[in-house]
Amino acid sequence: MNANSEIRQFFFPSITLKFLIRVSSVALLAYLFFGHLCIPFSIQGISMEPTYHNGGVNFCWKLRYLFSEPKRPDVVAVRFAGSKVMLLKRVVAREGERVEFRDGKLLVNGKEIKEPYVRYPCDWNLPPRQVEKDSIYVVGDNRSMPIENHHFGQASKSRVVGGPVW
Amino acid sequence: MVILGIVIAITFFPSEEKRVKKRFHLLSVWVSKSTEENAFTMLQKMRDIGSLFDEHCDLETDYPSLSGSYTREEISTYVGSARSHVSQLSLKFYDLQIVFPEKEVAQVTLTARLTGRSTAGEQMDETRELECLLRKTEKKWLFRQIDVVEVLKK
Repeated sequence: MNANSEIRQFFFPSITLKFLIRVSSVALLAYLFFGHLCIPFSIQGISMEPTYHNGGVNFCWKLRYLFSEPKRPDVVAVRFAGSKVMLLKRVVAREGERVEFRDGKLLVNGKEIKEPYVRYPCDWNLPPRQVEKDSIYVVGDNRSMPIENHHFGQASKSRVVGGPVW
Repeated sequence: MVILGIVIAITFFPSEEKRVKKRFHLLSVWVSKSTEENAFTMLQKMRDIGSLFDEHCDLETDYPSLSGSYTREEISTYVGSARSHVSQLSLKFYDLQIVFPEKEVAQVTLTARLTGRSTAGEQMDETRELECLLRKTEKKWLFRQIDVVEVLKK
């Protein structure tokens, strides 16, 4: 077999039973992996800037919390609507903890939490509130916008679908 | 002949699930607005929208000023008023999950996406999960309750 016929065989393989089984297996594995375990998603919005940029692409690893619970400062994907719309947010408090913002600083159980991932100035004020059972408190990294315009708050743990791969 | 019979049965005697889905499709069509919509179509749509709702429909949203119980007429008026502030509007529903907890009651969980442009040129794009309750009255499925699911509670 010369080089030309090898190239031709690579790009235009003979349709044999072995070839069809191989193609079907790859398609099935790709569907299971990218459709159910490691789901590609595109980021829309600036609420996680500068950690995640608007228009960026990532993968949601759904087995991330199979044997563990989301904890501070994990970034999690929260199911927002249906199975396709998710919110990418950072966990700042767990169930039972008391969370508040004072002059832009995050306080959990009255203690200030260092947040190196928050790079933009923030002047948020939010009275203390206790995170309910089976819930986590999530916030975006971009706190330069007014507090009213930012989607954040307590989410049920059952809505956490996984975490970004990077 | 058998296949033809099945096709006719499916077309003319749709399942209750299909009937419920049809109501959402009509709501989507009648709420949506194209840039070329004329006054006659607008008035017809406003009148038709009311016919999709029960005499009283409860709305629960994260905006307290919008939550409450509305009559068909009020819904038609409010939707008409909201549509007059936009030059283009599109309402689409996805991932409809329909269950029938009781006879003649349908509970639907779905994703609603509203996109459009205001008359001032401002772009809109809102996606929310909704839980709707429809009741069958005089052979028609009518919206009785619409709850916007609060995913993040501040």
